[in-house]
Amino acid sequence: MANAPAAARPDVVLSLRDVVSGYGKMTILNGTTCDILKGKITTVIGPNGAGKSTMFKTIFGLLPVRTGSITLNGKDVTNHAPRQMLDNGVCYVPQGRNIFSELTVRHNMELGTVALSDQSSVPERMEAMFKRFPILREKADVQAGTLSGGQQKLLEVARGLLLDPSLILIDEPSIGLSPLMVQEVFGILENLRDNGVSILLIEQNAKQALKLCDYGLVLEQGQTRIEDTGENILADPRIGELFLGGAMKQAG
Amino acid sequence: MTDFLQLVISGLATGAIYALAAIGFTLLWQTTQTINFAQGEFMMLPAFFALAAMRWAGAPFWLACIVAILCSVLVLGIGYKKIIIDPLRGQPGLAVVISTLALAIFLKDSVKDIYSAEAQPFPTILPDTMLSFGGVNISLAQIGVLVVATVVILVLNWFLTQTRTGRQMQATAQNPTVAKILGVDIDRMVLYTFLINAALAGMASLLISPIYLAKFSNGEVLGLAAFVAAIVGGFNQVRGAIVGGLVIGVVDNLAAAYVSTAYRQAVPLVLLVLVILFRPQGILGRKEERTV
Repeated sequence: MANAPAAARPDVVLSLRDVVSGYGKMTILNGTTCDILKGKITTVIGPNGAGKSTMFKTIFGLLPVRTGSITLNGKDVTNHAPRQMLDNGVCYVPQGRNIFSELTVRHNMELGTVALSDQSSVPERMEAMFKRFPILREKADVQAGTLSGGQQKLLEVARGLLLDPSLILIDEPSIGLSPLMVQEVFGILENLRDNGVSILLIEQNAKQALKLCDYGLVLEQGQTRIEDTGENILADPRIGELFLGGAMKQAG
Repeated sequence: MTDFLQLVISGLATGAIYALAAIGFTLLWQTTQTINFAQGEFMMLPAFFALAAMRWAGAPFWLACIVAILCSVLVLGIGYKKIIIDPLRGQPGLAVVISTLALAIFLKDSVKDIYSAEAQPFPTILPDTMLSFGGVNISLAQIGVLVVATVVILVLNWFLTQTRTGRQMQATAQNPTVAKILGVDIDRMVLYTFLINAALAGMASLLISPIYLAKFSNGEVLGLAAFVAAIVGGFNQVRGAIVGGLVIGVVDNLAAAYVSTAYRQAVPLVLLVLVILFRPQGILGRKEERTV
């Protein structure tokens, strides 16, 4: 079967094989295949509608995989529900603002521990996170909706990190943030990567993201066009064509 | 002045009952984006569960009240969710509107056929003894209603804000997708909402029936009052539902005394029109942002 999971490679954390997925009758991911390397930052780039966000939602079990397979550390996780993906050590920070604006910052954080099997470690984990992000401790008891956009994004990231994920899917973390805040968020991601966490990132600002990341993945019309290091992709003349609207010629 | 105070206090008592049902409205709206047009009948039926338990099983009043709440949680909570709402998931909103309107007619006529079309006297939790506070006469029964409704609202508020399950329910109501991403068991939280709504409607039913008498057609007036209360207060806020309920209760009572009893039923509607014209998000509501 073409859909059989690939043999486990020790350096690969997540791999997609011929994944088909979409919304209702619409197919967005059209046989996506890729391997995401362990302990690296990989940026997914591609024009609007290429299926970047759809790919994340499908990996995390928010959209069903119609055909194809997804494996995490060699284990089949195709169509695992979000709750199972959390148990598998994956966290997903979607695009936009994803906080509960009427709950306090502390309670927003605490909701990040719902999936934790050992609930007795919650206070300790929260404390560690407050230590890491002092601004969140300062604002712990205010309504999360009153935070600035950047602080809200920090809160989301902190909430995701409470479960000590080994793979983070983060969709456009920099959108709407000040340049300083963007730097801070990327700093956090790099720090996580240095601690062995794998990161899969979507960025609108492809140039900047490719400079920061280790690997890049170019998605177009729901299929992987290029998988290479960030530098190589930056230097690839086909990228310009892609973002200027022309379709890419099928890669080699 | 004492008349006015008396009217305000008895208005608060009925208003607190409307608030219970209005809270149920807003909770269901937040978590399922459905409006239950049978909410009035949900406030009518539990009294008949209690009457049936007393008449046919010979249960004492306190036991009948417990039976009524349990039956309403079972029938109006679990039954309503499984039979009416779950099968309509993913259908256009109008399907739910029509189904709940049909459910209202079904409940009303079932009570009429099975129990009686006559208004039934219903026991009060506390006797109707009048107490006088500096010339203001208030009945013990009214105080009882206010106390019970306040305690119920406080307990609910404590549950929603101070317990982890309550906060997971709030999270589910505010943003179900994000709640799911964090691993919240959405389906369970939605079920809890239905159970709470049914229990609140049951409480409201037991409190209002001594005042209105238990009658199959009570739901029409009660449902409207609760619906208007929810909108006036702000449909997306529990706090709003409480304020809305109290406002409707007091305004309704004052209008009956100072304007005309004949126009009494029109008053909540006038209030509704005014709120929609000048403050469409309700007294405490916030504007809903919808992203496509």
